[in-house]
Amino acid sequence: MSGWSLDEWFVVALARTIRDGEVVFHGFASPCAQVAMHVARRTHAPGCLLIEGATYAVDPDPVFVPPTSNDLALHRDAAYRMRFEEFFDAASRGAVDRMFLSGGQIDGYGNTNVTAIGGMPTPKIKLGGGGGGGNISATIGTLSLWTTRHRSGRTLVPQVDFLTDLGHRTPAGSRAELGYTGRGPQWLVTELGVFDFAPDGHARLRATFPDVSLTDVEAATGFDLRVELDPSLLGPPTDAELAAVRSLDPLGVRRREFGAEELHRRFARDAA
Amino acid sequence: MTTFHLAPDKRASLSEAVALVQDGMTVALGGGLSARLPMAMVRELIRQGRRDLHVIGSAHGIDVDLLVAAGAVKVSEESYVGFEQDFGLAPAFRRAAESGALEVRESTCVSILSQLRAAEMGLPFLPVRGLKGTDIGTLHPEYAMVTCPFTGEELVAVPALSPDAALIHAPLGDHRGNLHLEQPYVMDERFAHASRTVLATVERLAEPGEVAAAGVVIPAHCVSAVVEAPFGAHPSSCYPDYAYDRPHLAGYVAAATEGGEALREYLDRFVFPGEDTCRGRIDADRLRSWAASDRDWQELFR
Repeated sequence: MSGWSLDEWFVVALARTIRDGEVVFHGFASPCAQVAMHVARRTHAPGCLLIEGATYAVDPDPVFVPPTSNDLALHRDAAYRMRFEEFFDAASRGAVDRMFLSGGQIDGYGNTNVTAIGGMPTPKIKLGGGGGGGNISATIGTLSLWTTRHRSGRTLVPQVDFLTDLGHRTPAGSRAELGYTGRGPQWLVTELGVFDFAPDGHARLRATFPDVSLTDVEAATGFDLRVELDPSLLGPPTDAELAAVRSLDPLGVRRREFGAEELHRRFARDAA
Repeated sequence: MTTFHLAPDKRASLSEAVALVQDGMTVALGGGLSARLPMAMVRELIRQGRRDLHVIGSAHGIDVDLLVAAGAVKVSEESYVGFEQDFGLAPAFRRAAESGALEVRESTCVSILSQLRAAEMGLPFLPVRGLKGTDIGTLHPEYAMVTCPFTGEELVAVPALSPDAALIHAPLGDHRGNLHLEQPYVMDERFAHASRTVLATVERLAEPGEVAAAGVVIPAHCVSAVVEAPFGAHPSSCYPDYAYDRPHLAGYVAAATEGGEALREYLDRFVFPGEDTCRGRIDADRLRSWAASDRDWQELFR
């Protein structure tokens, strides 16, 4: 394959946060995570149990990824669809291993805001809302966070204006202090690079895409930037991964998550 | 339902059924996101000039946004309102929330689900996991903390919730009110069991034997009234009958974003003339073409 785009690599990076054998879930309005879960299942993680968000279908093979996450194209051939309550019960009791979460704002401890920029009850920008994240981010095994808007400088912030979904440490206490069994965010993938979370629960930058400098990341990151680089954590996509992305998402729904300038970023094997 | 509904024939006109919803009521909206939304009833609520509604649900889209655009909603207790990655933020909902015209008591899927289940079980509350440490509780002074009498664990308690009315759209039903739904059912079963009044529209009324053979998901004794309303979920999808009407939604989002005259034109074209006239403006063959081939299906989303 002659090169790939940032959106393709980004989805592959998200897919690689999944370990084989996990029970994985994404919510609505999450095309990058949605494509990533299927890419993982078709490449390195065939033993996953994949729960397709908003249809709650188990291990479906989508006809294609449509631009809405409650559509029959996502689950037509699934052998089983969980009921809404069946999924949320499983997630609440800790039977789901990994969930993908994003946010209009994300702080250094991985708390996310999908409710309102400027906070409530007087929002500057009313975002869509959190669905079920405020409950199940406490109980699901671990979380893969992502944002495609890191470069804006407004997404990775010192403090979220409204805390919708739980990271490692909130103003009311740590996960342990709150009595939560879920282990919290493990990865944060952005269009600039990949973070993991240090033992104290704070994000640390582990790798950047090859066309991104540390200065770029510093300029875009509002929380305290810790750096502990290991470029092997962001290896180039394989041909099989790229083929999976392209066949699953022929409409390019994943690309809707990115600003226009990011969609021009291209990479090739030798340059990577 | 809080008590069963035993009338042998629940058939009603759309205006008769929707007249059971009064100003200020709590209204649960069935379906989710862009699928099986009770749009014929939403449009009739607007035509009847309903005000001050308190809407309840999980993740929703044009149903809530259109009601807000028409000035029918005072409180939104949905867990999400928007158009996902397709058209983004919900324009009327967002504008009303930002101006203070709409009170957003944003909820979560688990909270609403647990509140409905408590009502179904005749319990005053249920405890839920999570929420502690989030800001969601600041929007819900009715939540409380409860200590488990067995383990001492501190949990958030959410009160029972019986919506005054639930609005549900189904592909198939009979005159008794039995409803067949295709998955995902989202919260429709819980709404049907927990709400005082359940109003259903169906794509097609059929003989009870046909509905039973397809599978009854919501039984007649939970349903107060049933109305035949073809394309009653449009512009959301109602498989196996029709897919999501993407150009229509794009047009709505543009009109609602602009507001004023553009929004008025949308309402004059797609709401106020009534279901029969508005149905004639739908490209029905196109929306049914999803079943012809995977390529046709994909084309509906371009």
